[in-house]
Amino acid sequence: MRNRKMILTLGSLLLGVGMIAAGAAAAGGRQAAAQDLARTNAKPAAKPMAFPIEQHKLDNGLRVVFSVDHSAPVFGIAVTYDVGSRNERKGRTGFAHLFEHMMFQGSENVGKGEHFILILNNGGGMNGTTNEDRTNYFEQLPANQLDLALYLEADRMRALAVNEANLQNQRKAVKEERRLGIDNQPYGATDEALSDILYDNFAYKHSVIGSMDDLDAASLDDLKDFFRLYYAPNNAVLTLVGDFNPPEALAKIKKYFGGIASQPTPARPDLSEPPQTAERRRKMDDTFAETPRLDELFKVSPGEKAEWFAVEAISAILGGGQSSRLYQRLVKEKELAVSVDTDLENRPGPSPFQIEVSLRPGADFAAVEQIVQEELDRLQKEPVASWELEKVRLTSRRERAQRLRSSLARAVVIGELTAKFGDPNVINTSESRLDAVTPQDVQRAAQKYLSVNQRCIIETYPKQAAPGGAQ
Amino acid sequence: MSGREMRDRVCRLAHPRAGVAFMATALLLVALPAAGQQPGDKGSSISKVTRLNRAPVSKEVLRVKLPTPSETTLPNGLRVLILEDHRFPLVNMNLIILGAGATAEPADLPGLASTTAAMLQEGTATRSSKQIAEETEKLGAEINFFAPFGGTTATMSASGLSDNFNEWFALALDELLRPAFPAAELAKWKQRAGVRLKQQRSSPQFLARERSSLAIYCANPDERSTCLPEARVSETAASIEAMTAERLASWHDARYVPQNAILAIAGDVETHALVAKLTHDFAAWKRSDLVDQPPPATRAAGERHVYLVDRPNSVQTTIWLGNIAIDRRDPDYVPVTVANRIFGGGPAARLFLNLREEKGYTYGVYSGFTAVRYAGPWAASGDVTRDVTEGAMHEFLYEITRLGKEPVPDAELDEARRSVVAAFAISLEQPERLINYAVDRAIYSLPADYWETYPAKISAVSAADVTRVAAKYLDPAKLQIVAVGEAKKVLPAFEKYGAVKLYDTQGKRETPPAN
Repeated sequence: MRNRKMILTLGSLLLGVGMIAAGAAAAGGRQAAAQDLARTNAKPAAKPMAFPIEQHKLDNGLRVVFSVDHSAPVFGIAVTYDVGSRNERKGRTGFAHLFEHMMFQGSENVGKGEHFILILNNGGGMNGTTNEDRTNYFEQLPANQLDLALYLEADRMRALAVNEANLQNQRKAVKEERRLGIDNQPYGATDEALSDILYDNFAYKHSVIGSMDDLDAASLDDLKDFFRLYYAPNNAVLTLVGDFNPPEALAKIKKYFGGIASQPTPARPDLSEPPQTAERRRKMDDTFAETPRLDELFKVSPGEKAEWFAVEAISAILGGGQSSRLYQRLVKEKELAVSVDTDLENRPGPSPFQIEVSLRPGADFAAVEQIVQEELDRLQKEPVASWELEKVRLTSRRERAQRLRSSLARAVVIGELTAKFGDPNVINTSESRLDAVTPQDVQRAAQKYLSVNQRCIIETYPKQAAPGGAQ
Repeated sequence: MSGREMRDRVCRLAHPRAGVAFMATALLLVALPAAGQQPGDKGSSISKVTRLNRAPVSKEVLRVKLPTPSETTLPNGLRVLILEDHRFPLVNMNLIILGAGATAEPADLPGLASTTAAMLQEGTATRSSKQIAEETEKLGAEINFFAPFGGTTATMSASGLSDNFNEWFALALDELLRPAFPAAELAKWKQRAGVRLKQQRSSPQFLARERSSLAIYCANPDERSTCLPEARVSETAASIEAMTAERLASWHDARYVPQNAILAIAGDVETHALVAKLTHDFAAWKRSDLVDQPPPATRAAGERHVYLVDRPNSVQTTIWLGNIAIDRRDPDYVPVTVANRIFGGGPAARLFLNLREEKGYTYGVYSGFTAVRYAGPWAASGDVTRDVTEGAMHEFLYEITRLGKEPVPDAELDEARRSVVAAFAISLEQPERLINYAVDRAIYSLPADYWETYPAKISAVSAADVTRVAAKYLDPAKLQIVAVGEAKKVLPAFEKYGAVKLYDTQGKRETPPAN
């Protein structure tokens, strides 16, 4: 699912913001507290990494979060709407993302495409992204352009202007996005099958990009309904991070957003999954792939729960870096694979945990699967080593610091966490919660979530394409 | 979470890093109808870009101070740049070794530079591959070596927490200075490299990069002996087979020398103490007599050629059009930067607004240029749906021709220049960007005040400059046109631009399909 964790209006070219945002909410790290007894080689207390959080709520329900940082004359802003592909109904898959594209097609006082132009001409970076649980819009600008950013975001929240020509145009762009990311790539069909095999509930079962047929079926009326229901101030979080004066900024936010009417709160979709009692397996042929791939998937704890942090540790211990258990066994010792990746998402509903192994051609699938199973069994039977948890903590601390240096990345992450988990302070607590994970926590989480009956397996095999050119 | 090895980091389908320029409404709307109804365009109403100019834009000019890294040269000749940044408990460093990159490697052994770099992580005199991985990751650090194809340097990139800097820096030094190239690890590396050789052929973007590199860096792309080292994009099965620990070790001994290297460090460090530490820790790294040589000069193609890689079942066509333009020291770097912003450097540029926002042919089209120690390509590229290949080609050529013929309207030019300067100012938030500016100045011997005067230089670019560089470097009669797609469907779209040379995905010449 890594490959489709989030899809962007513009691709991930702009200032690398796509990379920054992807999975950033999963960051954890080490706080100074040495509460973990397993750590023997205690270092001097690390400098704490905490970000100031100031919260406000407008009368119309818009949540506002500030995090001031005057170190550079720049700010990042994100408007995060509590809507994603999980809110889509059957027959309208891909709609949340298509809608996100429409948010750049003009509003009452902003022309089609003018948003890009205004931000970029002033040196900024911007994008919009959609995932299962939320849709966000963000930009970074010099400190003197705060009015511009607020005006652009407020105008499209208040009075989006959509028409048939723009809808047709963006439908084409989205279909090209689908072709580029899935239909014309090796393992594209496999990537789309991951959520399908793992989930029963339609909310997470279908892909964010959606089907071609459903994209064709989307109408202007659908857009208008969706806008009214989900793009209301009371369904959004505005985060502002960087160089600004909070009282002045709050006054401006009230000026631009205060007049936007709130709407009835949309019903929260049911994300629950029936228990999985038997292994699921699918075999796929891929005409573009040159080498086989094995995917194993599990539904685990919702994000930000204590158990979720234990699975985060498992993910790193199994597949993080070249010291990881699966890399060492499959790639180095047995030479059955050329790469191993693990990935855990941070969702309000049951989060997907994925193990992806790129096999050496000719390697025996069963042998690879056997080794993965041995490692999963071992996690259930034996406590992990203290150095492995040390690695998890310190790697997470570094990655988190690197990711969050940019004011824009912080705005995006805080907005996402607030929309998904209701509390912006989560950005400051996840470090110590990962630090608190013990070997026993890891063992219990493995027993609870990673048993044989809970696994879903996809085997992907290269299939020779029919010759297309020479006759 | 990644167990993947370092991949080739050069992307010759040069894409822009940051956003861009403009657009003049009047111009596009007047100019487009002539090109409006293209094959594949089903005649839907055009979705026009419009500007209402109601949003409040501050005209105040930001005063930006450019922090300068401190610069020192150690006794062994190693140049050191340090930029302190104490906001986060991090240290990032890049050690860039000139003359240890792919363009300097012998013709019989493509991949020698990248293999040597990768193998530095696979064993030292006192540590096994597994020990290196465990010790590094236990500290939360990341240490990588790479020397991508097309590059003139080898780089050590290391980052970690300032809390335990001394420990991970010692590991990085061990890998850099005391590699063992264990035979067993080399054998495993060869096996993995062989698989990657196969895997990369499944990506249409790789196939386009391979074919375009051959098109611009070879006198005859079908005859490898006529190719410059810049043309290589990967190892070959034969070169992987031919790698030996001895070849790697002698490359390392000869090429990894301090007098040709630059060490750039940004982060939570104290400059004075760090310089003392580096002087001590690097004392064992001895200078040699090796003088860094510039890579072989490249030359723009003199006539148009069209290449099509037949990838059966492709639902999109990957298109690349370009030619050799400038190296980093060329005075045209500044006008090309502005011209590229206008042409295809981001979503506010002409290519994107036309092919995506108006026509809906693509998810994204961009232009970019590679200006390094040799002159690389200036090119436009994108993936378009198969059925609109012909229309997309028409628009690419229309935009290229227009850029070299019609003066850019004042408003569009002004916005392009302003966006480049403002993006530069915003980039100063990031210490890595700041230090990279200093590294560029060192590598390319740019004047001391180059970055301080950069905004003024950008602001001085004229409409005539833009037309001149576009006409000079993007002459449609000399463009190299490369595409990857389903030949039996898209071949006719390319035949109108010249005789099409057809290849299969393995790089072998194919005969055209009979129709």
